[in-house]
Amino acid sequence: MRAFLRQHNGRITTYVGFIIFAIIVLFPFYFIVISSVTPRYQIFQIPPRYFPETLTLENYPAMMNAIPFWQFYLNSLIFALGSTITSVLFSAMAGYALARLKFPGSNLVFLGLILSIALPQVALLVPIREIYNALHLNNTYFGLIVLMSSLVTPFTVWIMVSFVHQIPVEIEEAALIDGATIWQTILRIVLPTMRPAIATMLIINFIISWNELLYPLIFATRNDTKTLSVGLISLGREAMGTSRPWDLMSAMSVLTIVPVIVLVIFGQRAIVSGLTRGAVK
Amino acid sequence: MVANVSPPQAVTRARSPQLTLNQRRYLAAALLLAPVILLRLFTTLYPFLQTIVLSFHEYNPAFTPRTYVGLENFEKIAADIVVKSSIEFTLIFVFGSTFFQLFFGVMVASLLNSRLRIPNFIRTINLIPWAIPMVVAAVGWRWMFDGNYGWIVDLLRRIGLQINWLTDPASARVAILIVAIWKSTPFVAVSILAGLQGVPEELYEAAKVDGANAWQSFWGITLPLIMPLMVTIGMFMLVWQLAVFDLPYTMTAGGPGFATSVLAYQVQQKVVTLNYGYASAISVIMFLIVGLIGALGLAAFRRVQVSM
Repeated sequence: MRAFLRQHNGRITTYVGFIIFAIIVLFPFYFIVISSVTPRYQIFQIPPRYFPETLTLENYPAMMNAIPFWQFYLNSLIFALGSTITSVLFSAMAGYALARLKFPGSNLVFLGLILSIALPQVALLVPIREIYNALHLNNTYFGLIVLMSSLVTPFTVWIMVSFVHQIPVEIEEAALIDGATIWQTILRIVLPTMRPAIATMLIINFIISWNELLYPLIFATRNDTKTLSVGLISLGREAMGTSRPWDLMSAMSVLTIVPVIVLVIFGQRAIVSGLTRGAVK
Repeated sequence: MVANVSPPQAVTRARSPQLTLNQRRYLAAALLLAPVILLRLFTTLYPFLQTIVLSFHEYNPAFTPRTYVGLENFEKIAADIVVKSSIEFTLIFVFGSTFFQLFFGVMVASLLNSRLRIPNFIRTINLIPWAIPMVVAAVGWRWMFDGNYGWIVDLLRRIGLQINWLTDPASARVAILIVAIWKSTPFVAVSILAGLQGVPEELYEAAKVDGANAWQSFWGITLPLIMPLMVTIGMFMLVWQLAVFDLPYTMTAGGPGFATSVLAYQVQQKVVTLNYGYASAISVIMFLIVGLIGALGLAAFRRVQVSM
């Protein structure tokens, strides 16, 4: 395709491609944002309006009156930050061990971790639910964070292992020869060099956890632990009558995606490097 | 975290036969790995095995203690039109969306790999569908497909097309696929882009000298070189989309009827209604599909490597 475009001096083709691509990607966002500032009576109009006659911000306070929005926001933050930090810390430790401290069976452990990605999350739900009922872990941040950090761990370990493989081993060997212990080497030499991988996975895992639906839906049934994803669905279900309150839901959607959009704008390079490292290896 | 290992310490990493050094290393490895292993045992390995066990049981925690029923749950599945339809749509959804994600992924990746100066803005917006919650995407698209107020319905009506997206079973399935393709093509494109950037420029130059046109060099050079990567990404997407439950749950609740219900959605529904034995049996069907995808992937890999 690249050669094709070059040969035909396809500057125009490429730019037309960009424009079509941008429209397809951004159209739903335009729709959501515009809906959130459209008065309710204009949203429910036939035929629909592509730009409202009057703009309003009243959907936002109305949405916050309908559900404990800021409580959900806080819950989402605790859930996502907790899962992110836990998973990245544990995965960095495990990744270093699997990449450097070879032991009998270490390849098997790595293979097992990677293969476990293939097990569908929902298909493991029944036993987890039994455990959580028995241990009273429903509606606890701890229980939710354990599940979520475990879910993203295999991929994170994978990225960490491939990153550690790229660090020259000589520096660590030199440190060990100079009399440093394994732990000192890890803290003073390995950890600083792993910083880019750690930063990347912090961003990616935060986005994945922020977007998670299944675990909070099943294990956070009370308002004091519900996350935004679950809250958005409750908002739709609690609607009066048959029609969904799209005016309120669009306002909530906009505020829900703000953090991840900001992360994408500022962390684009890091995200791409993390997402592709796994695939290309 | 600094343990009480007394210096001076010999070369720990050296492949010396001294057991103490290796033991020290194994201890470090065990401590570093323990949290991840414990997490995975607790949330994945044990649930996996226990799900298989429960699939042979009649089990509803609200009523009786669980009883062994052999293959009864699976016989029930064979007679359950809702679950059978879900199996069918699961396969359509997983393979259909993966195919189109790879197809459009190659297109978008080629676009992003263009020699022209690409505005950074394009790379950024490419990631946005991937980065937003599926719930938000599904709710937004659900509304755009709405029969009365939806923009898509209205736009199509203006050009003379009348499609009842969410009330006609076949159209609802297409609508679900469209959202899945829209949401995950960027992720696929980013991965393919990394592969495209690895194709040596000289190959294209040489092909050009030999008089190959653009399509020939795409089919002859680019595609064979990125094929192993495509298979890897394809496998990943197949497995990953088998687990997609939030899209039909949020957008159509499996409807109209049960046309857009997938296995993941069925399991969730059975779990919520405490039908644990049956939910486990459907989960086992999902494990089998994972195995099938794995076998297909291995076969595809062998083929790709032979042909190269």
